[in-house]
Amino acid sequence: MSNGTEEIGERIVELLPRLRRFARSLSRNQHDADDLVQSAVERAWKNSVQLRPGANLASWMFGIMRNAWVDHVRAGRRRGEVPLPEDSGSHPAVSPVDADVAMWSVSEAMSNLPEDQRLAVALVLVEGMSYKEAAEVLEVPIGTLTSRLARGRTVLAAALSDERKGDTA
Amino acid sequence: MNYDDEILMAYADGELDTAQRAEIAAALEKDPGLARRVEKHRALRAEVADAFKVVVDQPVPERLVAAANGDTVAAIKERTPRHGKVLQFPSKGARSAAPGWGVREWGAMAASVVLAVVISWRVFAPSAPGPLAVNGGALVARGELATALDRQLASNQGLEQPVQIGVTFKSRDGNYCRSFTLSASQTAGLACRAGGDWRIAATAVTQLPAGQVQQAAGTMPAPVLAAIETRIAGEALDAAGEENARLGGWDR
Repeated sequence: MSNGTEEIGERIVELLPRLRRFARSLSRNQHDADDLVQSAVERAWKNSVQLRPGANLASWMFGIMRNAWVDHVRAGRRRGEVPLPEDSGSHPAVSPVDADVAMWSVSEAMSNLPEDQRLAVALVLVEGMSYKEAAEVLEVPIGTLTSRLARGRTVLAAALSDERKGDTA
Repeated sequence: MNYDDEILMAYADGELDTAQRAEIAAALEKDPGLARRVEKHRALRAEVADAFKVVVDQPVPERLVAAANGDTVAAIKERTPRHGKVLQFPSKGARSAAPGWGVREWGAMAASVVLAVVISWRVFAPSAPGPLAVNGGALVARGELATALDRQLASNQGLEQPVQIGVTFKSRDGNYCRSFTLSASQTAGLACRAGGDWRIAATAVTQLPAGQVQQAAGTMPAPVLAAIETRIAGEALDAAGEENARLGGWDR
């Protein structure tokens, strides 16, 4: 048993870089993203008995991330929190590095997508999962996943091309 | 022949079977409009993937590694209220850990457990120097428990040691507190500095078989976690903070 829990710990640690990237693509800054990862990882430990030997830990973990994020978004809505127009305060979303600016602009565009489309885009485009893997994480049929992904991409492409026009204007 | 956007997207993502892929590839040769639509899908995919790819190469914050290892410290930090932040992540666990139970109820339970522990030590080991004594009306640590609280570092302790130190933190009244587990007697507790003693603030039965060290966040008994949460000021000390506090003789 103690070997089992140590092994789960090690495997979750190995997943952390990907979980952080996934969380970052769902959140508006890295600080909120890391809070999300922490909340999901703690949830995973509380529910680790559900994890059967041989089960796909990554897919289980991404599923917990999805639930934690959806709960967080809904709780925020219940409290009447609206997304901040721009991240302000002690966790700057924008720094002068080009890579960060690219992340920031895609992140802003993604934050306008409905939850289910944002999840589909994050799993397939950001995490590089196959449609089948992403559908398993979201617990939906593949057809549902592809239509959410297609709609999400259409909105995202329009938002990003608008932004480019705005930049050059 | 016109193709809908989903099939072109699936083609761009490499999700089609061999026959469909060949059909689309042939259509793209003849129709530059279709080819441009596929190219847009690929470009968007690359743009989104590239935007976030730096994150996987960044160092992972220590608090996440601790949480991934099922470290209790992370659970406590996470439950500690954050001040002055608009967006909070209230953990479900933090609320469900004590449904309807306030400090008073946990306190009462902890007190009754302390009493039971003291009674059982009196009854079963009347002559051995126990880990607890009464001093000025308060229960204080003695013997190997007091020694471990004084000297042992959570960051550097052997699993075979009879007392395992959990978290160390500064309480709201400025005194150091440390949680501990007595593996032989399946007891976990919290002790805080008071007048040169380690005063016992809470104890409870651990949920693990004797000898097994608590690892996952959920295994620290709820009454002890509740006692920590009501006292902790800020965050638990890291390894360096713990060592500095010990060097300072646990003086506030």
